[in-house]
Amino acid sequence: MMQKAKAKKVKKYKMEEYTPSMIENPSVVDRVVDVVVILICILVAFCSFIPMWHVAMSSLSNGKLLITHEGLVLLPIGEWTLAGYQHLFKNSGILQGYANSLINTAAATGLGFAISAVTGYALSRQTRLKGVMTAFIMFPMLFSGGLVPTYMVIRSLGWVGTRWALIIPGCTNAMFSIMMMNAYNSVPASLYEAARIDGASHFRTMLQVMLPQAMNMGSVMILQTVVAQWNSWLNAKIYVPNNKALWPLQLWINTIVADNENFLRTANPDYGRYLIQYAVIMAATLPLLVTFPFFQDKLEHAVIGGGVKG
Amino acid sequence: MAAKAKAVKVAAPKLSWKRDFQRNWPVYVLFLPAFLYTLVLNYTPLVGLLMAFENYSQARGLFGSQWVGFQNFIDLFTGEEFFRALKNTVIISTLKCTIGFIMPIGFALVLSLVRNKKFKRITQTFSYMPNFIAAVVVVALVQNFLSDHGAITMLLAKFGLPVQNWLANPDVPVFWVIYLVMGIWQGLGWGSIMYVSAIATVSGDLHEAAAIDGATRMQRLFKITLPCIRPMIVMMFVIGVGINFIAGFDTILLMYMPSTYEVADTLYTYTYRMAFAAGASNYGLSTASGLFQSIVATTLLVGSNAISRKMGESSLF
Repeated sequence: MMQKAKAKKVKKYKMEEYTPSMIENPSVVDRVVDVVVILICILVAFCSFIPMWHVAMSSLSNGKLLITHEGLVLLPIGEWTLAGYQHLFKNSGILQGYANSLINTAAATGLGFAISAVTGYALSRQTRLKGVMTAFIMFPMLFSGGLVPTYMVIRSLGWVGTRWALIIPGCTNAMFSIMMMNAYNSVPASLYEAARIDGASHFRTMLQVMLPQAMNMGSVMILQTVVAQWNSWLNAKIYVPNNKALWPLQLWINTIVADNENFLRTANPDYGRYLIQYAVIMAATLPLLVTFPFFQDKLEHAVIGGGVKG
Repeated sequence: MAAKAKAVKVAAPKLSWKRDFQRNWPVYVLFLPAFLYTLVLNYTPLVGLLMAFENYSQARGLFGSQWVGFQNFIDLFTGEEFFRALKNTVIISTLKCTIGFIMPIGFALVLSLVRNKKFKRITQTFSYMPNFIAAVVVVALVQNFLSDHGAITMLLAKFGLPVQNWLANPDVPVFWVIYLVMGIWQGLGWGSIMYVSAIATVSGDLHEAAAIDGATRMQRLFKITLPCIRPMIVMMFVIGVGINFIAGFDTILLMYMPSTYEVADTLYTYTYRMAFAAGASNYGLSTASGLFQSIVATTLLVGSNAISRKMGESSLF
């Protein structure tokens, strides 16, 4: 059975592949186009990949030789060493930053998901205020108060200098609620009606009947929030600039890279410290880069379905 | 995005307000968290825009501060820094809307010409990588590669350009090119997703018919694929025009320095500096500048949407 299905799939694949080229006359121009296309693809892949590879190899290099090295680092310079990572794990600030990023990301993702899942449900029901509620949610996408007025609101809430300022603003947005609304709307109406007729409350219908059906979009939203939160730095720079205990990892990276030249001025510099900037970049970026290919289809789906990036 | 919300609108049976509330009050309760969230974090700041019209002092508060009418705007428009920032914002967002906009479309078209599906998929995976790299890290990479012994500096030196720290160069196109290329590098693969999916929906029959009539692949690319994804391109452009004027400038905060303010200072960074830079905190002026940017962005979005609709193209709302 399995084999049969597999054979069928292969055959279909072949059909797709060869039908166009059978009716086509492969000309010289066509061949040139093929080569150019492949070259462009390789160039794009190379350019996308090589900067992080450069950082990875630099982080394993000998610090003293690396400082004077010019150009790309394709393999570790000198004897490869983990000195940079050792420094990283000895630096309590960075470790705290790592923990902060994890806490903020988890909290903001959970809160954001809860809000948009519930809101999407409310917007998807046929109520008289449906239009008003949708407009209320969407207007801020068109016009926003801006940097300073938002700061003033956060300040009067007493969140400046606290973790709340890093978690709550930006944990969700109007787009996510609209996306969830669309997801609920595409659930067959009969499912909803059956649950309601059986006497399930709105809350229970949402949680046990509708949400599982909308989880495809829900998980996509979670992935988006995780990436955005893990990579965020501006809120921390605005709201907790002086409280280093709350700094997320990204702010540490910024500071470490900026301050890196200073240590060279000491009499007998420890060149391992020069590597710490590369190590911290790897530590912050690698988790996402390793995970995203597994969710590639879902993430693509999100871009197509929601246009969240825009 | 908004177009989708419109499509699912179904005629609701009209209930009286009382019946509606009796039947649907739990739905309204479920809306409450989002109502409060949006009200506090998105609508209350709109009241704060009043700061643009007063000489705001922290001690006296929003309603106690002295009203100065349009004085902040007069200060803003007569100041030299504002026009520098406006000029840079216009130039940078125009570059993003033109060259930065075309590149992902071009990449999607290139991908559509790849015959081997596996090769196409791998290329896509690689091209998405930069999208997942944090802005802070991207800027660190730019600093590293463009420093006086960075890889790109060395490459450019081979073409006879002087060895230098390119980010510190205040000459005219340098910073703009760096910022534009950085944006393209980060968004090329990710930005192409929309177009790749639009291309995938182009009917194979069209291609087949054209191929039988002897159209080459390049002819089909420009005569079939491109016209078919045109509505998508127009829609993305309409979104982009407003967004590009207001979003993405926070990265500049990480890359610019006083010596490059002349070319790198934008409305966003100017607004930020007026409010949060050490010792500055001129909240009134900063709010005025932020308000100006918001109004221009909204006008651009609504305007480009109206033009697109008038020309019979796809529109957002």
